[in-house]
Amino acid sequence: MAPLQLSHVDSAIIGVWRWQAAIATLIVAVATFAISPSLPFLWPFAPALVVIGGIFLSWWWPSVSYRHLRYGVDETGIAIESGVIWRSRIALPRVRIQHTDVSQGPLERRYGIGTLKMYTAGSRHTKIELPGLQHEEAIALRDALLAEGAGSGV
Amino acid sequence: MASEGDFQPTLRLHALSWLFGLSGAIKQMVLPLIALLFFNVRDETPGPFGPWIVPIIVVLVAVRAVWIQLTFRYGFSPTGLVIREGMIFRNTRHIEYARIENVDTERSLLHRLLGVAEVRVQTSTGGKPEALISVLDLAAVQRMRERIFAAARSVEQTAATPAEDTLLHLDMGELVRHGLIDNRGMILVAAAFGVLHEAGVFVINQQLVDRLLHSPSAAGLAALGLMMQIGLGVLTILAAIIAVRVLSVIQAILTFYDFRLTRVAGDLRARYGLFTRVALTLRTRRIQAVHQNESLLHRWFDRVSLSVDLAGDSGGSEGNGDNSRSKTRWLAPVCPASAAPKLIATALPALDLSTEPNWQPLASGARGRVFRKTLLWLIVILTAPAIWYLREGAIVIVLGCIPLAWMHAHLYVKNTRWALARDAVMFRRGWLNRQLTIVPRDRVQTSSIESSPFDRRSRMASIYVDTAGASPLSAGIRIRYLAADVAERLAAALYRTAGVTN
Repeated sequence: MAPLQLSHVDSAIIGVWRWQAAIATLIVAVATFAISPSLPFLWPFAPALVVIGGIFLSWWWPSVSYRHLRYGVDETGIAIESGVIWRSRIALPRVRIQHTDVSQGPLERRYGIGTLKMYTAGSRHTKIELPGLQHEEAIALRDALLAEGAGSGV
Repeated sequence: MASEGDFQPTLRLHALSWLFGLSGAIKQMVLPLIALLFFNVRDETPGPFGPWIVPIIVVLVAVRAVWIQLTFRYGFSPTGLVIREGMIFRNTRHIEYARIENVDTERSLLHRLLGVAEVRVQTSTGGKPEALISVLDLAAVQRMRERIFAAARSVEQTAATPAEDTLLHLDMGELVRHGLIDNRGMILVAAAFGVLHEAGVFVINQQLVDRLLHSPSAAGLAALGLMMQIGLGVLTILAAIIAVRVLSVIQAILTFYDFRLTRVAGDLRARYGLFTRVALTLRTRRIQAVHQNESLLHRWFDRVSLSVDLAGDSGGSEGNGDNSRSKTRWLAPVCPASAAPKLIATALPALDLSTEPNWQPLASGARGRVFRKTLLWLIVILTAPAIWYLREGAIVIVLGCIPLAWMHAHLYVKNTRWALARDAVMFRRGWLNRQLTIVPRDRVQTSSIESSPFDRRSRMASIYVDTAGASPLSAGIRIRYLAADVAERLAAALYRTAGVTN
């Protein structure tokens, strides 16, 4: 897929991911702080590990993962590249798209971005997600992908 | 003429439908029911309804089955099949004639005694069958078929009816071979073991086992001496193996008795079963991939097995108690190896399979990687048990892994090839159990290149080609250990053609 130009998504997604990771860390941290004092062999290590891991996941990881998330659209379809350690590039011809969703969680709404979800008739990659597009851009992309994709899909 | 909106279906199910609803429901609950029965019989303090709990459940299920039967209606509107279920929560389903692909039937022994059939109406959309009608008498099924296909494909149907040529028929010898190869009896034994365990047989008989161990015959056995004991043990194991194989053969005969694959106007029909007769239509334009499997035993008998993936088959585990869709769609459970290419060509008529594909090997470093990976796994799995049982002898086992892993890597890489033809992508893999998958290029859904850190270190990648209609476990084609640039080119080629053709 060399001729396909890949570009990054909106960098606002980093903020969304940071908040999500921070909230998840908070929940796990509260649980560990509540439980681990009663288990002597866990006490100083488990909460410390959770806090360090949480900071790592909520500050550094989102920006790394953002750098590795790219997508490109051409007349055939869409390609999405993602993953930091296990990298994958999935190529989806537009005639194979069964239907699409543009979804927005509360955090995403706050940052004005949305996730484009494309469904195929395949067996394993039945739902392909592209997070971090400007909401209007996601809708425009969806319309562009669906415009000529009038195939049966099977 | 009635318009679409006010069309009311009036045809009812067969008068004995409730019987099948009841037996289907009981079949699903059979393990909990047996457990409950045992529990109540064994226990001194029975549950809230005491010994009546099982009959109460059965009666409730029977009432529900009768209710479903009484409220079920179907009918033929001008444009489609209409099915109405329920009275309080009413659900009306409308299936256009033109979209109906198959009307399949399945008949167990009970169905056949009563002259009825379970009908599945399939469309090309995914998931479970569009409608499961249980049960209709055969004349009603015939009328339904005629009505549906007369409305939708009158020309094709009239042309089709006379010509039905048999592509494959399995006689008794083939069925016996299939049973020997397939070894499904092992699963039966495991299932029986599970049921017995669930029912608490092993717990109850603990004292019996103790008594057996202290009986005179056990003492006699102990007096026999080591050689005789070993001989007896070997004999027992041999007998067990033979018994399991015999079970497999019986199972194969029951399942696939009189297996007949025929072709009617381009579509394939499979009919099989001794007690439960299954009649399936495999529409060739719904076939997404063909799998050929050749185990060691297959090769000894010079046989292969062929199955296909159909669009709309995947993810059919939900609802209606209809789990038969997750079954393998057999083109041929067993057939002579020489007959396989012709059957594959029939299943994929759009492909030109006359020329031998240009088989490509894996990346040059693949053998080393398979070797290291296999060796690592063997050592991880074997070391602890080997040390536990053999102590110093463990070193022999661990060293013995090296040639074993090398042999596996060598044979695997030697036998694993992929090919990109003008209209199909093919992949064959494995040495002990050889599998060949053929996916037409216009059936490719998505293609993805995946690379792990190990892949990137040796400039390799794996490619995954997704298709419709398979179970997530066996889906598509995954080719590991490709050179990264080869994988890129393959993915690009598949992406272009999947986008153009339809």
